[in-house]
Amino acid sequence: MFAALTAALVVYALVRVFAGYPAAQQPAQALRRRELALVSAVADALLPPGGAIPESGREADVAGYVDRLVAASQPRQRALMRALFFLFEHATLFFPAPGGLRGLRRFSALDVSAREAVLERWRTSRLFPRRLVFTSLRALCTLGYFASPGVLRSLHLAPYAIDTPLCQADLWYPPIGAPRASLRRTRADLTPPSGGTPLALDAPLLAGYGEPGA
Amino acid sequence: MSEGDVDLRVFADYDRDVVESVDVAVVGSGPGGAVAAKELTDAGLRVALIEEGPPFTPREYRVDGGLSMARTMREGGLRATVGTVMPTMQAICLGGGSLVNSAICNRAPDFVLERWCERFALKQTTAADLAPHYDAVGEYLGISATPENVQGRRNLLFRDGCRALGIDCEPIARNVRGCRGSGECFTGCRSRAKQSMDITYVPDALRGGATVLTSARVEVVRTSGRRATGVAGHIVAPFSGRPSHRFRVDANAVVLAAGCMATPVLLARSGDLANRSGQVGRNLQFHPGVAAMGVFSERVNPQFGATQGYQSKHFLRDGFKLETLWAPPPVLAVRMPGSGAALKQRLAAVPFAAIWDAIGSCNRSVGRVVARRGSIDPRLEWRLHPEDAPILAQALFTLARIFFAAGARSVLPGVHGIPEELHSPEEARILGTHPIRPGDLVLGGNHAFCTTRMHGDPAQGVVDELGRCHDFDNLYVADSGVFPQCPSVNPMWTVMALARRTALAVAAAH
Repeated sequence: MFAALTAALVVYALVRVFAGYPAAQQPAQALRRRELALVSAVADALLPPGGAIPESGREADVAGYVDRLVAASQPRQRALMRALFFLFEHATLFFPAPGGLRGLRRFSALDVSAREAVLERWRTSRLFPRRLVFTSLRALCTLGYFASPGVLRSLHLAPYAIDTPLCQADLWYPPIGAPRASLRRTRADLTPPSGGTPLALDAPLLAGYGEPGA
Repeated sequence: MSEGDVDLRVFADYDRDVVESVDVAVVGSGPGGAVAAKELTDAGLRVALIEEGPPFTPREYRVDGGLSMARTMREGGLRATVGTVMPTMQAICLGGGSLVNSAICNRAPDFVLERWCERFALKQTTAADLAPHYDAVGEYLGISATPENVQGRRNLLFRDGCRALGIDCEPIARNVRGCRGSGECFTGCRSRAKQSMDITYVPDALRGGATVLTSARVEVVRTSGRRATGVAGHIVAPFSGRPSHRFRVDANAVVLAAGCMATPVLLARSGDLANRSGQVGRNLQFHPGVAAMGVFSERVNPQFGATQGYQSKHFLRDGFKLETLWAPPPVLAVRMPGSGAALKQRLAAVPFAAIWDAIGSCNRSVGRVVARRGSIDPRLEWRLHPEDAPILAQALFTLARIFFAAGARSVLPGVHGIPEELHSPEEARILGTHPIRPGDLVLGGNHAFCTTRMHGDPAQGVVDELGRCHDFDNLYVADSGVFPQCPSVNPMWTVMALARRTALAVAAAH
């Protein structure tokens, strides 16, 4: 009887720790369901809606960006990022968030105010490794946040459209992955080098960064 | 010569194992290797320039900072030291770091070179000795001061603040022609104004008849007695590093310019080569960097202007150099305090902000490069010496003073344990009085040195003044690993000058 009860408790605990994550809204390239939930939960607390920049972390699709970044990373870096997500997601099972038993949950299962409190603890910790974990996680989220054209537009930081001169090297360097034989350009395609005309602050923006529909 | 006549090979061109025989094999196409390859080709030698990364053109650049780093940097831009944790980067692309740096060109100060000569038994490395090499590289790349019309407000505020305090400052000299002030140096210059190695020295080496193997990872230096006989390794896929065919380049001389974090690993993996002194991989130094953000009442529009347009060498003898900075916003955000609404508030201040940084000459802070088992990536062990932390704190204090002198209403120093926002020079004094430990600072270390240092005494250094390994007759090093100490200023021009000297020595000897 005791063994069965213990087993049931262990199963319940494992389910609470490792299962029950919501289905991803979009198919992910690299992140697992629980990792997407963690990154979304951090982004929600770190970059909430409203305030000085209208777009939230969720609206900026921070989780999608981190997924793409992890997919583009090499195996060792991918493993390190996964370890970071796992550590942060489950640390609150050992160092609970404020709120008594309600704080004894994995990070992504906490309510937003508890998540904010947890993030603040990591950020201001006296222990350098804890601050380092926070900084790393926040860096991934801000990378994703600033990849959003809407965020960059709202800050007037979107990249400009720039005419790129075609130089001799372009006649020799093919697109990455393509053979040199795929190049069709000739010297007649070369264009004059940059004349050094400063960009204007109101210059047209790079495609994909302008106002939608503009 | 038509466009197809040069011998450049990219990953998709390899359909079998590669064997080449040349006079000189040059490993690495960054500022050291590219200069060496071009000079050796000019001297009439048959040269193979071997680069692990692919060639990038502007269509391959990504303006997004994270994706750009993942594509152009080793370990996806996530490399860091252990001991004192500090991110550091090494590029993996044709042209090496010159593709993604801010093109700063400084000659090593006279007092630094005098110290090198005095302490490391060097006789031909004075400012006068290196002047012809600096001059030749400077003329070739068009190194010149950043013009005022592309400085942007962010850089000019630094100038104004320095002048108000009587601090010497100057426009930064760069290897740039026709800068438009896009501030995109770190993700690749879409204006093609930056004279990076992939569009300057490498094409000239190709025109001169060099063979350029890209996506070719050198894994071993082959030797026989006191002679290097060539290099060998695998062709590897861009980004994934997945190996495909083998290659071997037989050569009468080998120049290693894989960077000071990779060259010692290559020597170690090749059988602990050139290490009778025991100095290979040791003496690792950085210019650890710290940065502060100043928020102004006026709109600064920091995205416009040369990435790094102004600098001050006023405090070089005190151990730090000051410079302006712009980087992709997410990279800057790493240093910002706060989370939630407070973080967003600070992010929203970026258009009103300038970011300036300091690099420290921290000769007491040393470490080592160790080959990691089963990997060509190095393990970097390094600690910021406790006595060097106050130098960086002093640098931050000076930056804060300049910010306030330029009219900033607040300064974010990014140091744990002191207020996140300072509002006056008086408040900033805490940077000079509060005991700051290495872990309190947000550091970045992008200049690395000394892991194959030159020394007149073969028992104390890896290479001689001409870059030749003491233990070999024809094995040379031409990257920042040969520096005996940190140069106190941005190292690229010195790397190129020393590489040119080494190349001329190789040409004369072979």
